[in-house]
Amino acid sequence: MSAQMTPVLTHPGPTALEGGHVKKQGVGGRIYGMLRAIPASFLWIIVAIWSLPTVGLLISSFRSSSAQRSTGWWKVFGDADELTLQNYRDVLSASSTAKLTDSLLNSAAIAIPATIIPIAIAAFAAYAFAWIDFKGRKWLFIFTVSLLAIPLQVALIPLLQLYGGGAHLTLPILHKTITLVPDLDLAGTTTAVWLTHIGFALPFAIFLLHNYIAGLPKDLFEAARIDGADHFTVFWRIVLPLSVPVLAAFGIFQFLWTWNDYLVANTMAGSNPDAIPTTIRIANLAGDFGQKINLLPAAAFVQAFIPLIVFFALQRYFVRGLLAGSVKG
Amino acid sequence: MDKVISTLITVVVAVGASAILWIGANLVFNQARNRYQRFTALIFGAVGFLVGVVLHGNHVTVGSGDGFLRWIWLPAAAAVVFAFVGIGLEQTSGATPRRVAGIVAGVVIGVGVGLLVRAERRPELDVVALAVWTLAVALVGAGISAILNARRRSADHDTPRRSDPANGALIGGAVGAVLGGWGSATIGTGSAAEAIVASALPAALVGLRLGMTRSPDLPARARLSGRARSWIFLLPAMLFIFASLVVPTIRTIYLSLLDKRSKEFVRLSNYADTFTDPNSWNMDDWTNMFTSRLFFIGIAALLIAIVTGIVAKKRTGRAVEIGNPTMAPLVIGVLLVLFAAFTSFRGTIVNNLWWVVTVVFASTAMGLAVAVLADNVKHEKLAKSLIFMPLAISLVGASIIWRFMYVTTDESKEQRGVINAIWVSLGKLSTGSGLPTLIGAVVLGVLIVGLGAVIVRALIRRDYAQAPLPAVAAVFLVWVFVRYLGSGIGGYETNNAGEIVARGIGFVQEPPWNNFWLMIILIWIQTGFAMVILSAAIKAVPGELIEAARVDGATPSQIFWRITLPQISTTIGVVVTTLIVLVMKVFDIVKVVTNGQFGTQVLANEMAQQAFTNNDTGRGAALAVILFLSVLPVMYFNIRRMQREA
Repeated sequence: MSAQMTPVLTHPGPTALEGGHVKKQGVGGRIYGMLRAIPASFLWIIVAIWSLPTVGLLISSFRSSSAQRSTGWWKVFGDADELTLQNYRDVLSASSTAKLTDSLLNSAAIAIPATIIPIAIAAFAAYAFAWIDFKGRKWLFIFTVSLLAIPLQVALIPLLQLYGGGAHLTLPILHKTITLVPDLDLAGTTTAVWLTHIGFALPFAIFLLHNYIAGLPKDLFEAARIDGADHFTVFWRIVLPLSVPVLAAFGIFQFLWTWNDYLVANTMAGSNPDAIPTTIRIANLAGDFGQKINLLPAAAFVQAFIPLIVFFALQRYFVRGLLAGSVKG
Repeated sequence: MDKVISTLITVVVAVGASAILWIGANLVFNQARNRYQRFTALIFGAVGFLVGVVLHGNHVTVGSGDGFLRWIWLPAAAAVVFAFVGIGLEQTSGATPRRVAGIVAGVVIGVGVGLLVRAERRPELDVVALAVWTLAVALVGAGISAILNARRRSADHDTPRRSDPANGALIGGAVGAVLGGWGSATIGTGSAAEAIVASALPAALVGLRLGMTRSPDLPARARLSGRARSWIFLLPAMLFIFASLVVPTIRTIYLSLLDKRSKEFVRLSNYADTFTDPNSWNMDDWTNMFTSRLFFIGIAALLIAIVTGIVAKKRTGRAVEIGNPTMAPLVIGVLLVLFAAFTSFRGTIVNNLWWVVTVVFASTAMGLAVAVLADNVKHEKLAKSLIFMPLAISLVGASIIWRFMYVTTDESKEQRGVINAIWVSLGKLSTGSGLPTLIGAVVLGVLIVGLGAVIVRALIRRDYAQAPLPAVAAVFLVWVFVRYLGSGIGGYETNNAGEIVARGIGFVQEPPWNNFWLMIILIWIQTGFAMVILSAAIKAVPGELIEAARVDGATPSQIFWRITLPQISTTIGVVVTTLIVLVMKVFDIVKVVTNGQFGTQVLANEMAQQAFTNNDTGRGAALAVILFLSVLPVMYFNIRRMQREA
């Protein structure tokens, strides 16, 4: 009954309603009806405008250097012969001036640990906040979540100092300096980048996973407790398998975030050309905007390839992570 | 290939090491209940390892040179020694033997460390200072533990542990001995004996403290195991959060009060400099605002809103009616006046505000429009996916995509950027005289006549709510029409020779509007975000409500303004607050497209430039703190809401 009702309830369509008036109203009504139909086509106009920039760059990436330099990408429809894979070949060859292959590996070396480690760490913490009783649990959780308010920028300077020279504390009265963290010489390495990402992912990850894990049915835990399972077993055998959807949602969100990040990577590794990820590489390529400009569209699409695959393949999880992740700093 | 291997190794080592550490800690605490001795040995070993790391890390002991094996031997040896101490303590029963054993173990370890201290690190002991420090901090320790003890006693009525002040005194004494023996002494001039005393004294005190505790009984062991478990689960997260969020934030605030080399305390002058810098806040040309065309159109729109309001007041008794007729001119008017202000006042902070106003409004409005338009349309999913897709592309990638959209070529060449190509051909069309120009005029004319028909029809049917929006569109089109027939519209200019030549827009270089063209990039991205969230909310609006309104004869526009919009207002709040925070921190787009040149600087990019390019740590830190404070109020509401929902 309600299934049959639904189309009527939600699918009246302004055009359908006005369509009834058209025949009675004559010319004015007909024009009015046409204009009333604008919203539906308006949507597709917006969609076209939104897709145009990406499509344009995609077409450009397949055009030869001289074609890109002389005409706009839409001219390709007049002359399809100029299409070539040369740009992609140039960008992906190991010896290329774009050096994109190296930076792809750097991006992977950043994004993989920066995704896996926070998932694990946050899952532990979220479990503790949800199902282990300890003093100050509520306040510690509130504290953790309020750290979401801290923008990335606030931590960058001290973190760079930490990775580039360790942490040293000068005692106030004694004027002696003690080393808290030795200089591990991490500035300019991918390690510094993913370490930073982990710290910044955690408040959000803990919040997201906690919401989910705290919502698991209580009976499960009581049954496990009666069977003599300790927290570690409960976490490993019950919580982790049941939390796969939220872990995937966070994982995808975090992977895209770190893969697409520019600020952290530029601050922590920007000084070392051998450690920079794809985002910095293509930004530098764009900065030149000279000789190699014909490679830029191809390079941009190589950089965006993995995010787009993830996006189209796992859109459901991506949307879920995004809905919850909109607050990340 | 080497790169692939080293990348793989990094990833595997990082993930593996963290996993082993964590699972290992769990296994260690699994021993606590039933195999307490093994547990003690493992814990002591871990502490010993840490002590070794700290000693090596501060280059106190010999052999802390390069190379992993030369580095690891002391921590490893310390771990073994400490483990045996733990077993020994556990084997000893009775109060006095345990204390003696604790002291002996402490002295042995202290002497061992003292012997290993490098010659250039030996302290020159000052006995008085050592005694004063030890006693003073011991007193503090006793006081702290007495207070804690009292609070614990009042909190639960368990048996209070009477030895607590003494315990605190011992730990305090150990800390004091370290401070007195090493901290206040001159380092490097002492003898080996002095080094031994300075390390044996605190170690003996700690040993005595450990000896004073009784070996816990089974329930206490179980409790320990349980309590430790919560900390094992939390510790990795807390460690990272403190090391990379809490401490750095505090340090940034501290650095913002120091000068550019972090040498001297300069109070708030970094903040004062930021706010008095003409680059961040320049009102010199504020009078331009009142001569700008935007300002006049904006004021006109506001007047229309007021007139509509007065009319509405007479008809329905409510001046501000939520609906197209009043809201559209009101919003447009406010926006235009704000734009007039933002293009006249210049500077980093003004730019940031402009970004926030424009991107937040436009993204939310576009997202809402798409969400409403796409609701229950054929191929809804496809349309939404395409609008949403820019969100998956990096901000850098999006900036590059739009740089190609914004390309400007000089007039002699063909325009390669889409927007300039359209703009220039519009210029050619409107200044030309051939058949295409005529067709353009006819199309425009038909559109205007159509809009006129809609207005007339609305007036005849006394459906006044339908009139204002087409009227606004008609006025705009008439203006375009007049320009088209008259002096021309689009990308062209008349050169000195009197010829009409093409001229593209310098989207990136021409201030102040280049800011706006940069904002378009973020709007392009964030519309998808707003759409997804608002679309979910719209789908949740009960169908009965809408059906009831329709039965009562409400128009689609009325349904939208009076039912859908109030129903999703909370979600709109979420989108707006989220976007405000996000836009306030905008960085990548400006960095990649202009790097803050041509009057497009924003706070986040200014911060990065000051801190990392100019090496002005104080100024950079101050900008970071300003950014932090400016998003704080919004974040506060966001987090409050999240905690309510959770």
